[in-house]
Amino acid sequence: MDNTIQYIGENLIPGKIAHGFIILSFLSILYTVYASYKQIKSGTIDDNRWQKLARWSFLTHGISVFSVIGILFYLMITARYEYGYVYDHVSDDLPMRYIFSAFWEGQEGSFLLWMFWHVVLGFFLIKKTKSLESPVLLFYSLIQLILATMILGVHVGFGEYTYKIGSNPTLLLRDIFDVPVFQKENYLELLEGTGLNPLLQNYWMTIHPPTLFLGFASASIPFSFAAGAMYTRDYKSWLTPVLKWSLFSAGVLGLGIFMGGIWAYEALTFGGYWAWDPVENMSLVPWIILVAGIHTNLIAKSTGRAIGSTLIYYCLTLVLVLYSTYLTRSGILGDTSAHAFTEMGLSPQLIFLVGFFAILSTWLYFTRLKEIPKQEKEESIYSREFWMFIGALVLLFSGIIISTSTSLPVFNKIVSLFNPSFEGSVINDPIPHYNKFQIWIAILISVLTAKTVYLRYKANGMSAQQTKSFALPQIAYFAIAAALTFIMSFWLDYFHWKYALLTVTCWYTVIANGAMLIKGLKQNPRIVGFVCGHAGFGLMILGVIASGLNEESITEDNFLLREIVLDEEERNSVNLIKGKPFFINNYWLTYESDTTYDKTRRFKIKFEREDSLGNKVETFYLYPNMLYNNKLTKMAAVNPSIKRYVDRDIFVHVTGLPGSQTDIEVAKENEDSLVYITYDMMIGDTLTLSENKKVVIESYSYQPNNEEYKDSQSDLGLSAVIRCIDQKMEVDEVIEPVLGLKENMLYQYPDQVNDLNIKIKLNEQSFDNFFTQENELVYESFTVPKGGSFDYKNTSYTVKTLDSNVEDRNYDKQEGDVVVRALIEYTLDNGDNRSLSPLYVIRGSKPYSIKDYDPVSGTHIRLSHINPANEEFVFQIAEDVRDAKSMIVDIAENVPRDDIIALEATIFPGINLFWSGTILMLSGFFISWWIRYKSKYA
Amino acid sequence: MKKSHIIAFIAIVAAVSIIVIGSKDVTTYGDFSMAENAPGSVKIAGTLDLNKPIHFDIEEDPNSFSFYMNDKANNRKKVIVSMAKPQDFEQSESIVVTGKLKGDTFYAHDILLKCPSKYKDEEIRLRAGLDKEKVG
Repeated sequence: MDNTIQYIGENLIPGKIAHGFIILSFLSILYTVYASYKQIKSGTIDDNRWQKLARWSFLTHGISVFSVIGILFYLMITARYEYGYVYDHVSDDLPMRYIFSAFWEGQEGSFLLWMFWHVVLGFFLIKKTKSLESPVLLFYSLIQLILATMILGVHVGFGEYTYKIGSNPTLLLRDIFDVPVFQKENYLELLEGTGLNPLLQNYWMTIHPPTLFLGFASASIPFSFAAGAMYTRDYKSWLTPVLKWSLFSAGVLGLGIFMGGIWAYEALTFGGYWAWDPVENMSLVPWIILVAGIHTNLIAKSTGRAIGSTLIYYCLTLVLVLYSTYLTRSGILGDTSAHAFTEMGLSPQLIFLVGFFAILSTWLYFTRLKEIPKQEKEESIYSREFWMFIGALVLLFSGIIISTSTSLPVFNKIVSLFNPSFEGSVINDPIPHYNKFQIWIAILISVLTAKTVYLRYKANGMSAQQTKSFALPQIAYFAIAAALTFIMSFWLDYFHWKYALLTVTCWYTVIANGAMLIKGLKQNPRIVGFVCGHAGFGLMILGVIASGLNEESITEDNFLLREIVLDEEERNSVNLIKGKPFFINNYWLTYESDTTYDKTRRFKIKFEREDSLGNKVETFYLYPNMLYNNKLTKMAAVNPSIKRYVDRDIFVHVTGLPGSQTDIEVAKENEDSLVYITYDMMIGDTLTLSENKKVVIESYSYQPNNEEYKDSQSDLGLSAVIRCIDQKMEVDEVIEPVLGLKENMLYQYPDQVNDLNIKIKLNEQSFDNFFTQENELVYESFTVPKGGSFDYKNTSYTVKTLDSNVEDRNYDKQEGDVVVRALIEYTLDNGDNRSLSPLYVIRGSKPYSIKDYDPVSGTHIRLSHINPANEEFVFQIAEDVRDAKSMIVDIAENVPRDDIIALEATIFPGINLFWSGTILMLSGFFISWWIRYKSKYA
Repeated sequence: MKKSHIIAFIAIVAAVSIIVIGSKDVTTYGDFSMAENAPGSVKIAGTLDLNKPIHFDIEEDPNSFSFYMNDKANNRKKVIVSMAKPQDFEQSESIVVTGKLKGDTFYAHDILLKCPSKYKDEEIRLRAGLDKEKVG
């Protein structure tokens, strides 16, 4: 590229400053790692110089990261398109409320978001960790160091080959794309930004990523404690302080995943809150492993057992977080996931990220395997720790199963490196595949969480009395659970005994933990946390059974006859024609209207439910919508609308529209493919089309009644009022196509009768039949004083007022103009009062007259002269020649309907059980965290 | 026998059975010839044939659209998918359909599109923007 071009309007300084801060953030976090290492190696409690240096450099790092973020925000808010990241994620028409979403839409922004939380949590960590600070900070900073390389944007050369480390968000657009537009020095004026993907223009995009990344960032903390403990060979003192961080992380990470589920359900029409998509799976697995780690951590804290397992789980959590980052950002999921990032050439670096921490953890663990404290004697099966340990193993198993299936694309890739002809394999039908294993995990977990909470740590056995007081309540809880399952069967179908069993075990844990709360709350209020967690898990799974297994379609159309119908096939959409009620599965559905505002087109759908006797028992409206893209040329996304009941949701979305409504190109193609025939008709004429359809030109109007025309704010308009009749079809509809004149251009506003597949346009020639051109007008002159009147062709015209302070759409005011406007009133034969306001302008000593025209009466009036001496005014008046009444129309037949939508309506029973169960479960983590955070000794 | 051994034994049995059961859920991206003999549904990867008609008429059937697909062995077959035509279908770089072959038509209940990435799109747009400049 030619570097000598002096570009206009670029502001390169903020980018340079930000890049400086990026490099500073990298160097300072590198120094934090080094100083923490030195403190561990050579420092003592009294000699904490290195520790202080580590803190200062971490602070420097934090300020650098905040500065980069601040500058990038500034560039985005001010829409500096010379920066590639700004150009890619902001556009001129992007509403300011989406600026955060735009910030973390891309890879670099989301890494910055992650680093932001890492810094914030790091400050708390330094403040709270006390004696373990240096080992924890060493590993915590090491993670941040590698994250920092992701935005470094440095090119490293190995001989011929150069490799890019990180992707710098301050790169200039002209350095990213080499296209000739950058030959222009004013290229910035030509750019308007790409903007945020309309699918992501949603408030969930504002709150879901920050929560998820706070979860990711906080998942580094248990790892840092674990790695620090192994590195310093201090295996016990970290077990208590780490727990509150782990609980916080599990709560936040869980909340982030949960928000993704709500988003998918509420806005994205993925057809539910969970689809076992790889991206979803790989954020769930670290959470599952973290939860397993929390449980072994509790064992280790209370009994001294399972320290090794806790170390493994916490290290694995971080490695899996990084692995999920690799999967979602490397593009490897391209074939299998609906929502991965675009590939950015960072794959090798991401693999390094995962590999580095996997190897580091493994090395730390195996070099210290013999030292990690163990107890010779095995746990008793009467002890709580035994069953908690089993529970953690079950969770580990669950995580392994999910991540193995999800990693199939990685496996394919690795095999194809050695065997290029290898045919990659895929999971045929993911949802049943994952469900069939996870159902057993859920059964085991619910049983374990129900009974284990009643066992004691370090118990060695049970006396007969103890056995009785343990077993009898359990039997009672189980019996209640079975009864509830039976009662629920009147509401839900279980379809298979496995689901009935799962329902029993879920109720069992809900009841057992509920009873625990009632019995134990007074003695130990701290049980609230785990009781909520366990019971919430049970309710959540019950919600899954209800809403997932018993989901049913209102709009399922089973009556269509076709040659071949496949078993898997679901015919879930029905067509609705505007204004025509359609009856299906006890509901009358009516597509009443639609409105377009901004980029959103909202459909108003009326639902009327009928009981078995045919009485309408319930009426409500739902408003599913669709979004157009930023240029308004294409449909970009559809959003559902949900009717919420306590026991169910009715979930509605538009699944299809005629092509002409979704894409301006298709609309053009469709229009071009229509065959218009031109007819020259007199007012009152009737034309007979194919199949005896009749078209009558009833009248015409100079004040067209057509929405599109009215919106256009044209100068003049002419419409034909046309009645279209088909007696056989019992159709009788009046339409009004329009010709509009705006700034000397004629525009057609066609109208159509969808029921008859007719579309009519007014031919442009019609215009000359109804409006007389200026040079064909015959003007007559009248001289009148102010307030006087004159008669022209049986109508009396009165000059009402004259004013010189004129704002008129026919006139552009200029400095030094002398202008007079006359208001002339007159009454038509039919009694209509009309008025006209011609202008008289003197500009630069030259007089101009600006005429006014009344299309209704066809009157043209000019104020052609003012005599200042005797205050007399000369008006010129003319009338359109309106004897020709021939209307030339273009008529097309066989026009596809444009007033039709395909709609899908689904009932999700018991979905509120899922939401409330999940919230309860997550609040369990937060309650436990809060209790430990507040208590002095924990 | 120690409890940890029992647990390990159960875990191994569970792992083996999961692998055996789970591996049945796995297929490869095949071509149409594979679908001829398959008992269940198969996944076929290929590309959209833009020279043949893509048919979707919402009025006729909102739950179905059809197109012609070339598989990896360059066999062309008509594919009928039992859902509305997805957005940007015509732009897809590659397609994976899941379903069954009946006669000469492949009936799919699921379709996955791989579309050009946003970045590639951008480059095209920038280039197009320049072309417009030249004309203007």
